[in-house]
Amino acid sequence: MSERSGSTRAEAPSPVDLASDAEDDARPALGWAAGSILVASVFLLLTNAQALNGWAAEQEPSETMVRVTGATEGWLAATERTRSAAPRAWLHGVWKRAQAARFAGPAPAEGD
Amino acid sequence: MLFPTLTFGLFFLVTFCVVWVASRSNEWRKILLLLASWVFYGAWDWRFVALLILSAVLNWGAARLISDSADAVMRKRVMIAGVVGNLAILGFFKYYGFFLEQVGDVLAAAGFARDLPLVQIILPVGVSFFTFQGMSYLIDVYKRRVPAASLLDITFLMSFFPHLVAGPIVRAADLVPQLQTTPRLNRGMVASALLLIVWGLFKKAVIASELATQFVDPVFADIAGHSGIDLMLAAYGYAVQIYCDFSAYSDMAIGIAALFGYRFPRNFDQPYRAASLQEFWRRWHISLSSWLRDYLYIDALGGNRGGVWYICRNLMITMLLGGLWHGAKWTFLIWGGLHGGVLAIERLWREFRPAGWPVLPRWMGVLITFHIVVLGWIFFRAPSFGDAIAYLHGIGANGLGGFTATPLQLALILFGLAIHAAPPRLLPGIALRIRAWPAPVLGVATGVAILLIDAMRFEGVAPFIYYQF
Repeated sequence: MSERSGSTRAEAPSPVDLASDAEDDARPALGWAAGSILVASVFLLLTNAQALNGWAAEQEPSETMVRVTGATEGWLAATERTRSAAPRAWLHGVWKRAQAARFAGPAPAEGD
Repeated sequence: MLFPTLTFGLFFLVTFCVVWVASRSNEWRKILLLLASWVFYGAWDWRFVALLILSAVLNWGAARLISDSADAVMRKRVMIAGVVGNLAILGFFKYYGFFLEQVGDVLAAAGFARDLPLVQIILPVGVSFFTFQGMSYLIDVYKRRVPAASLLDITFLMSFFPHLVAGPIVRAADLVPQLQTTPRLNRGMVASALLLIVWGLFKKAVIASELATQFVDPVFADIAGHSGIDLMLAAYGYAVQIYCDFSAYSDMAIGIAALFGYRFPRNFDQPYRAASLQEFWRRWHISLSSWLRDYLYIDALGGNRGGVWYICRNLMITMLLGGLWHGAKWTFLIWGGLHGGVLAIERLWREFRPAGWPVLPRWMGVLITFHIVVLGWIFFRAPSFGDAIAYLHGIGANGLGGFTATPLQLALILFGLAIHAAPPRLLPGIALRIRAWPAPVLGVATGVAILLIDAMRFEGVAPFIYYQF
């Protein structure tokens, strides 16, 4: 801990400040950000309907949520039919196999 | 409402659209973000939104009085009263139960066992963070480092949802000047923000959650049932877990704030590559360590004025209080004491090192510092002092058999450590490249990254470790 008196700001700069670029400053960024977020959201809606369905199932039950869950289940079934959910399912299977892998050798003894 | 959940994702999308589309002026924009922040905080417990507002009003009012008064004595009295008010909020919610417990133990030991009033106090999430922000604001106004701000700006500073519950501790001097004009995004900022959010999501949802639920928690819960190697690996695992958990929150907080146009300071800088504990504290939880240094070590204790023993005393007090900041537990105090003690030893070594003695190579300094930090984490993580001692004893005494870590867990621990060997400018370098991409390409890349993380994540989301502080 070294002394630095009279300080008012945390001295660590923000990690979102990149090297200045006049061209970058001139380009509109809000539309670009909104477009990127929109495309990412639509991509996830198409490929990860399971997450949406899981989220709906976890909410407190109500009439509205019953309708929402019905819609998310229908959407999940649709993405499974069109196979757009297949990459996520395949990746999840690979990850599960990695989780299940064990080093060779005897299992640990109880209380060892 | 946890960051890596769909509930938060939907909340963010709605807030992002409303704030950027519906804000007619900068003031309206701040009001909308404030309302969103209260919804975010109220998702835990609506009652504590009132505490948050009360705390902001207290600090705003005290700062106004300090700023408007020309009487030095009055200014000092108001500042002290304001700091005491903040500490009273923190003390009541965080330390009251612990204090009663200790009083009960002392009375029982002295033969005066009494039934003390047991009050179950719910800890408001993030109380340590927003009270520290309030205190630093008051002290800065008192020392004339920053001007007094409007009620809206101070309430915004203390309530803004990205950093509200687990930091970084953002000071008035960092955020309030940004609130004076409508913020403007640039592509570099957006690219960095998306990268930080995705990287934080990966560290939390994949590395920290997998290690916590599948390896570290079971080992700490059954110390006697695990071998010395398992205990050693779980200690390394916890070092990786807590780094990936806390730095993930900070990364996501910085990224989310940036998408609304605000810049938060860096909070982590590859801490396990530090070659001394002093360097470690320049890289770990930077907003807290710089807060403790500026307001406690220097302002309250006098900093480096006085002799070397005086400096050592100040280091020890600062780190003990830093430990206590994390919670009312003896293990946190021991963790702080260990850090304070080693910082003092480093200082004494620098002062009294015999001339001509060789200097440790940097890699050895990194190795020694890392293991001191890991030793501290064992106390930090253990439920009690007895458990921590049993853990340390078990590393040597439990034998080498029964290795339960899986290849995946080992790989995640190694990866979590290897992150610290990456070039420091790696993420900004990637952000510089992706800011030139068209929006659809960046959108698909972001979607693919989130899909990958979601496929790998552990089912369910464990709360962030620092939510409890």
